[in-house]
Amino acid sequence: MSESEVRSAERREFFRKAGLGVGALGAAAVTLATGEAAAAPEEQGAGYRETEHVKRYYALAKF
Amino acid sequence: MTAFARVAEEDRLRVGWYSLLARLLGGPPDRDFLGSIAALEGDETELGAAVQALAQVARGSEPKTIEQEYFDLFLGVGQAELLPYASYYLTGFLHDRPLARLRSDMSELGVARQEGVSEPEDHIASLCEIMAGLIGGAFGTPADLAAQQRFYDTHIGCWAPRFFQDLQASPTARFYMPVGTIGGLFLAIESQGFEMAA
Repeated sequence: MSESEVRSAERREFFRKAGLGVGALGAAAVTLATGEAAAAPEEQGAGYRETEHVKRYYALAKF
Repeated sequence: MTAFARVAEEDRLRVGWYSLLARLLGGPPDRDFLGSIAALEGDETELGAAVQALAQVARGSEPKTIEQEYFDLFLGVGQAELLPYASYYLTGFLHDRPLARLRSDMSELGVARQEGVSEPEDHIASLCEIMAGLIGGAFGTPADLAAQQRFYDTHIGCWAPRFFQDLQASPTARFYMPVGTIGGLFLAIESQGFEMAA
């Protein structure tokens, strides 16, 4: 394994031990997250390709 | 395959935690969201215990009550108990230099506040949302660890742990008390994770 592979394996193990992936919660947190955050860039309307002028608006939760 | 599907598993989990915090702190939960929170299960880790505590409060709470608590904690005009803004925590003033710095970093990243939103961008919920987007690739290509860490160190790590501590210790916080615990524990894990990668 390369040095960076070892490092990323250690990182994965660290996050796992810290409880980030606790069975139900891991899945639930991601499901909860998909509510309004993290719209995939693919979902941008077709033809909307002004490249560098395009700002990707993030959905600031409704305060 | 979306950019998100190519993100490493532990990073997808981090996106989940940041998004969860963003949603919890961005406004009071509606009945549906409260139901999902009530169904969460923890494990034997500290973080797991905090999640269990949150689920338990959620099971015994009505959305209306939490809405009032959210208002008292974060919104009450002139009397909100806590001001969860980077600028306020770092300088004692809202809309100060940390917000300007954030806006400039955001524009470099090609991220902007949604139209019609007047809330300053350095609110803890929007910072968590931006972190989630950087890691998961919601703004294009996922940011590498170094870029994530730069954003984290500059805009989150230097104040948000104190905010979560204040939230956890607030006499007003009932539903939000374990949210403070979860936020504090998660950010401590994040900081350590970045150190490992450095």
